[in-house]
Amino acid sequence: MAAQGGAAPSTYTPTPTKKTQRSPFFSDSDVDWLRPDGRGFHQCRPACGFTFNLLGCCDLIVFTYAGMFSLSLLSSCAFFSVLYSYMKGFFRTGAVNSAAGSAYAEFGNTKVIVSVFGPRESKKAMVYSDVGRLNCNVSYTTFANPARGLGSDNKEFSSMLHKALEGAIMLETFPKTTVDVFALVLESGGSDLPVVISCASLALADAGIMMYDLVAGVSVSCLGRNLIIDPILEEESFQDGSMMITCMPSRYEVTQLTITGEWSTAKLNEAMQLCLDACSKLDKIMRACLEEAASASQD
Amino acid sequence: MGLPDASEDLSSEMEVDAFRRLFPLRYFERHLSESIRPDARPLGRARDTTLALGAVASAHGSALAKIGSTTMLAAIKMEVMTPSTESPDEGSIAIDFHMPPICSPIVRPGRPAEAAPVISKQLSDTISRQVKSFLCYPFLLNSGMINLKELSLVSGKAAWMAYLDIYCLDADGALFDAALLSAVAAFSHLQIPIVSLNDDGKIELISEEDDGAKLEVEPVNKEKRKLTLSSIPFSLTCILHKNYILADPTAEEESIMETAVTVVLDSSSRLVSFYKPGGPVLAHTSAVQDCVALTRQRVKELQNILDETLSGMEID
Repeated sequence: MAAQGGAAPSTYTPTPTKKTQRSPFFSDSDVDWLRPDGRGFHQCRPACGFTFNLLGCCDLIVFTYAGMFSLSLLSSCAFFSVLYSYMKGFFRTGAVNSAAGSAYAEFGNTKVIVSVFGPRESKKAMVYSDVGRLNCNVSYTTFANPARGLGSDNKEFSSMLHKALEGAIMLETFPKTTVDVFALVLESGGSDLPVVISCASLALADAGIMMYDLVAGVSVSCLGRNLIIDPILEEESFQDGSMMITCMPSRYEVTQLTITGEWSTAKLNEAMQLCLDACSKLDKIMRACLEEAASASQD
Repeated sequence: MGLPDASEDLSSEMEVDAFRRLFPLRYFERHLSESIRPDARPLGRARDTTLALGAVASAHGSALAKIGSTTMLAAIKMEVMTPSTESPDEGSIAIDFHMPPICSPIVRPGRPAEAAPVISKQLSDTISRQVKSFLCYPFLLNSGMINLKELSLVSGKAAWMAYLDIYCLDADGALFDAALLSAVAAFSHLQIPIVSLNDDGKIELISEEDDGAKLEVEPVNKEKRKLTLSSIPFSLTCILHKNYILADPTAEEESIMETAVTVVLDSSSRLVSFYKPGGPVLAHTSAVQDCVALTRQRVKELQNILDETLSGMEID
């Protein structure tokens, strides 16, 4: 009975008894509002300290990637820098041994693995090309979201990942061949795409693919009058608009910028500045992760 | 190149890595004749094995198993179904094994790996074997790991459907062993949510907070938060090559020497299943016995690892 995949009876996920009347995130006097994980509005999920032992690793990398305190923007806003234990996140390279390069990223509940294969022969019979090809794929596990999904490929994210990375990679260094970047979102906890992109650029570096710079991605959600950086799943579901920037922080170049929803010009500028600041902080963490890996392999 | 003697002559002159790539079989046989493997293991020893529970917060039960580099992530999600009329007080288990493209250079997106459905089927047969009651050996009938009756909620109306999905994150040989270990660990970690039956005949969640405070709705499964796992199955895959038996092969070993034997024993050393899917080497009965003996040792190791991981979780 269990093995009959096609004839499985229809099932449903039980929902809570009482539909908890969730108050809208912001009312008119909304300055007292706390984010579900206790962060300040302009505070990213911290990449710090002790890592949840998902991949059996025990390297304790200490970073603090918090504190984007632009107090001038939201003067009366109370910032809580309580770092809850489940909000810990980190990057690690070399997660998958059978790949040429790989990286694992964990930010809050967002858990992502990226493997890089190649440069290798192009599988599709394509015409001769004197620059290399980049092939990207992002997929989700069936248990990534609160409701069980099909675990299919995410075509939109695959294409976005490709577009975010192609400008950063020196494609001319591997003519006629393909580099495959495959990402699997083990668990979705919000801001999935920026985490996938940052993690992918680390995996590419781990594989020794030549790049102009690392690509760091950060997203910001607009809720009412407030900007919230690095939103979690719950916050994303309530957002009025969102912005994602992926950039090469050392070169101060943006590889991808997407804006959806309703924005004012002033808000846009503010959000862009927040993202770019966060990107350069993220970049430092990513570089430290690579340095850590390099010094570990030398020992 | 193709001459069998060519490697003999070249081996003294060539670099080790080049020799390994050009004449992999000779390379391995040289090691085997010294009773050692290229990764410095004796022939009968399995790789280091670790388990971590609760790796996926969005699932009701989850586990990550690592055997050497082979990594498996298993997660269970519980959903509600209407039980079939033949078995109104039984739930069901659906097991799926996935090999996403991240796990190995041979898997590409859109083209699922050949091994994945095979392992899926083997896992279903091993874990929810009770369903197959036409295997009329009495000991097999009651040796199922999970009693499907425990998954019942309201007889004839509602029962749990346990979706077990196992993802291979890194494929380096002995995939079935690692997948089974992660599956078993995920079932031991499983915490079934408390639910109640509403007026429309639908099952609804009771949130943890107002449990006990005011019970206007009667939970239907208050006592059944954990499954009773009887006779947990563990497995060991061995490679047969000439007269050698190599326990827990790596992907490289599996690709060079093709005859694999997988033995599944339960915690009281009863044989659950035995797979020898063909292969060029024909096994003597003595080799079969040796494989079973190796598995018996391995089952003890794995049982200890599982027990330690579970007791470690209770302390936390």
